[in-house]
Amino acid sequence: MSFSVKSEVNENVAVITITGALDSSTAPQLHEEVQKIIQLNPTELVLNVENLDFMASAGLRVIIFAKQKLGSAVKLFLVKPQEQVVETLRMTGLLFSVTIVDKYPE
Amino acid sequence: MDTTTELRKFSANLDSLEQIREFLTGLAIKLGLDKGRTYKLCLAVDEIATNIINYGYLKSGITDGMIYVMLRSGKEMLTVIIEDTAIPFNPFENKIPGEDELALPLEERPIGGLGIMLAKENVDEFRYEFENGKNRNIFCVNLR
Repeated sequence: MSFSVKSEVNENVAVITITGALDSSTAPQLHEEVQKIIQLNPTELVLNVENLDFMASAGLRVIIFAKQKLGSAVKLFLVKPQEQVVETLRMTGLLFSVTIVDKYPE
Repeated sequence: MDTTTELRKFSANLDSLEQIREFLTGLAIKLGLDKGRTYKLCLAVDEIATNIINYGYLKSGITDGMIYVMLRSGKEMLTVIIEDTAIPFNPFENKIPGEDELALPLEERPIGGLGIMLAKENVDEFRYEFENGKNRNIFCVNLR
């Protein structure tokens, strides 16, 4: 699936839907989207990743960047990540910092 | 012997990352590697290929660099060898985040070293050699 990133913000909840492969060639697009979202001071960030097929460390770095900019009070949700993506998060210790859900709102 | 070897070269630019993954996935699935381990192999190779493109060739000042990807499979093992002619870059000399760093909340964590860590952790064996002016990164996956 080709890469796309779309975002919307409703009542301080930012939702970013990521489709395709998040590698070093596509991560800058997500980074840019995250930077726009940060300006809006959301209280929750929801990453819709059901159709995210691949995520390399370039993608992890954007998640870390988002978390660092937004601060620990802003909860980060991952909606329906694929098994291999969860495994990568676990391996790198990022799993502790995100909340995995089947749908949002829960 | 039942040995298959496939070689393909790719331009050293970020658009090649997806093509390299497709090349590896096609062959790995054909050889009977399951989806999870194929993904892990692709992830490991992707991280190193990214380093070669973003740092190796860039720092060498080479704009038309190539990445050679060779896949060799026998009965026991699948081996992927990546060669490039950028500056010598030994991934083992790169600092890998320790357990203590990985346990830090994301807000306090230094960014970096994750890619190389993922390269090492996602295959059964990962080696690096520098020979005749070429970097050679070798990834092995046990087939049984």
